[in-house]
Amino acid sequence: MWRSARFPVLWVGAPLLLVTLFTVVPIGHTLWTSLHSAHFLFPDELSWSGLDNYRKVIAGPFFLTTLKNSLLFTAVTAPVVVGLGIATALLLQRRFTGRAVLRSVVLLPWVLPGAITAVLWIWVFNPSWGMLNTWLRDLGLITSSIPWLSDPSLAFASVAVAHIWSQVPFSVVLIMAALSTIDPALFEAARIDGANAWQRFRFVVWPAIKAMVVVLLVYNALTAFTTYDVVYAMTGGGPGTATSLLSFQIWRESFSMYDFGAGSAVAFLVVAMAGLMIVAITRALPSDLFAATEDEAP
Amino acid sequence: MTGRLADRLIVNLAALLVLAFAAGPILLAAFGSVVPDRILFDRDRSVLEGGMTLDNYRYIFTGRLPAAYMAEGANRAMISDAARQVPRSLWNSAQISTSVLALNLLLGAPAAFAFARFAFPRKKPAFLFLILSPLVPAVALVTPIYLLVDGLDLLGTKLAVVLVHTARSLPFTILILSVFFRKLPEELFEAAVIDGCSRLQSFLRVALPLALPAVCATGLFAFMLSYTEFLFSMVLSGDARSRPLSVVMAALARNTDVSWSLLNSAIFIAVLPTLLLVVLVWRYVVEGLLAGAVKG
Repeated sequence: MWRSARFPVLWVGAPLLLVTLFTVVPIGHTLWTSLHSAHFLFPDELSWSGLDNYRKVIAGPFFLTTLKNSLLFTAVTAPVVVGLGIATALLLQRRFTGRAVLRSVVLLPWVLPGAITAVLWIWVFNPSWGMLNTWLRDLGLITSSIPWLSDPSLAFASVAVAHIWSQVPFSVVLIMAALSTIDPALFEAARIDGANAWQRFRFVVWPAIKAMVVVLLVYNALTAFTTYDVVYAMTGGGPGTATSLLSFQIWRESFSMYDFGAGSAVAFLVVAMAGLMIVAITRALPSDLFAATEDEAP
Repeated sequence: MTGRLADRLIVNLAALLVLAFAAGPILLAAFGSVVPDRILFDRDRSVLEGGMTLDNYRYIFTGRLPAAYMAEGANRAMISDAARQVPRSLWNSAQISTSVLALNLLLGAPAAFAFARFAFPRKKPAFLFLILSPLVPAVALVTPIYLLVDGLDLLGTKLAVVLVHTARSLPFTILILSVFFRKLPEELFEAAVIDGCSRLQSFLRVALPLALPAVCATGLFAFMLSYTEFLFSMVLSGDARSRPLSVVMAALARNTDVSWSLLNSAIFIAVLPTLLLVVLVWRYVVEGLLAGAVKG
C-alpha cells in the first residue's frame, strides 16, 4: 500500500474525467433544460419556466400510465430474475454430465444485443406462426391461437419473459460468486447433523448469499425500471399503451412532440427515482468492499 | 438408494429445463435460418420434403438472391437490402468494440491499480462515484449526450460511440480489476519496493504480468458491453457506413416485411461471435472471480 497525500491524477484522472463528461454533465444539462421551456426548432431560445414542465408531464395523458407500467414491470421481473438466478446457480453447483457446457450456455442471453433478444422471442410468441402456439396446437392443448403479443396483459407477460431471459445470467454469475465463499466443511457438518435440503439452504446457503441477493434485487429493479431496447423492439409499446414504459415517455416527449423541456423533465424524474435506488444499493452493498483495503494498511 | 436416484433425476431434469430456456430461442433461430419461409409458415409441409438451404447466408455475404425467391409468384419485397448491411456492421462493431476494449485497459488498469494499492485522500468517494455512475439510466442521458457530441462535432463518427461506450464500461473494468489487484499478495509489492521499484514500475513489471489473464478477460467484458449496447450506438453512429451490428439488427427486427428466414440468418451470423465471447468470458472472467472469492 503506497500512501500519498496527493490525489493520483495521472492514474485515475482520465476515467474520472470521461465519466464526469458523459454522466454528470448530461444530468446537469437535463436538469437545466427541464426547468426551461425549449423547442426543437428553436433550441437556443430558452426561457425559465420553473416547474411548469414537471406539472405538464405529470398531468399529461401518458405519464401515470407509463409509470404504472414501469413499476409493475419492475415488481414482476426483478424478483423472478433473482429467484431464477439463485435456482440456476444452486443447480450449477451440483455435479451432473454436461455441467461445463451448461455453465457457458446460461451466459448466452447476456451477450446478445437487445434487438436480437427481441426477435428471438417474437419467434416464440408470434400469435400466427410463433413456436409456442404451433407446439400447443400440435399437442392438442389449444384449438385457436393465443394472442400472445396482441392481448394487453399477455403482451405484458411476454415482454416480461424476454426481459427476464436476458437478465438472469448476470444474477447467476454473482450468486455463484457468493456461493463459492461458503466453506465446504459447513455443508459436511450440516449433513452430519442431519439437516434436510431446506435447512441446509436456510442456515448455510442463505446467510452467505443474502447480501448479494439484496444488491441484485435493487440492481435488477433499476435495470427493469429503465429498460427500453428489448421491450421496444418486441412490441413498440403496444398494443395501445399496454407495454409502454416510462423510458419510452422520455422519447415521446422529446422526439415525437419535439418538446425537450418536457422530455428532460421525465428524464430527470427517472434519474431521481434511479437515484433513490442507487442510495438503496449503497446501503445494501457489503461493507467489506472497502474494508479489505483499509484493514491491510499497515 | 432410490432417494439418490430420484435426486439425480431431478437435477438432470432441471439442467435440461435450464438448457431449453437459455438456448432454446437461439436454436430456433438457427433452425429458422436454413429453412425457407414457405416451409416455415406452412404447417402441412414438413422440413424434410422442403429441404434445408444455406441460400440466405449466401445472399447476405454475396448478394445472390435465394432460389426460393427467384421462383414465380414469390414475394421479392421480402428480401431486404438491410440484411446485406450485416457483414459490414459486424466489421464496424468489431472496430468499435475492440477500441473500447483497448481504451478500457489503457485507462482502467492503472486506475484499478491505484484504487487497489494506493492510499490517498478522497479515494472512497472517487471510487463510489465511478462504480455507481453506470447505474444512471442511459435513456435519461441520451439527449444531452447527443447534443454534447454534436457540440464536439463528432456526430456520426465511430469515435463518438467509442468514447461514450468507454465512459459507460470503464467503471465495470475498474471494479473488476481492482478486485484482482487487491488479491495479489502484499509481500510481492514490498519486495518490489525494496528492490527499488517505483509505483509505476511495480504496476508495469509486477502487477500487470501477474494479472494478465484477468486483465485480458476484463477487456473482453468491456468488449461485450459495447457490442450489445444499442441506444447510444443508434443515436450517435450516423449512416450505414459506421453503424454497428446492434443498430442494424434493430432496424431489421422492426421491419415487418423482411423474410423471416433471412432475418434468422442475420441473427445467427450475429450470434456466432458472441458464442466465442461467452466461452472466453466464462473461462477467464467468471472462473477467475469465483476462484478469487474462494481465496479471499
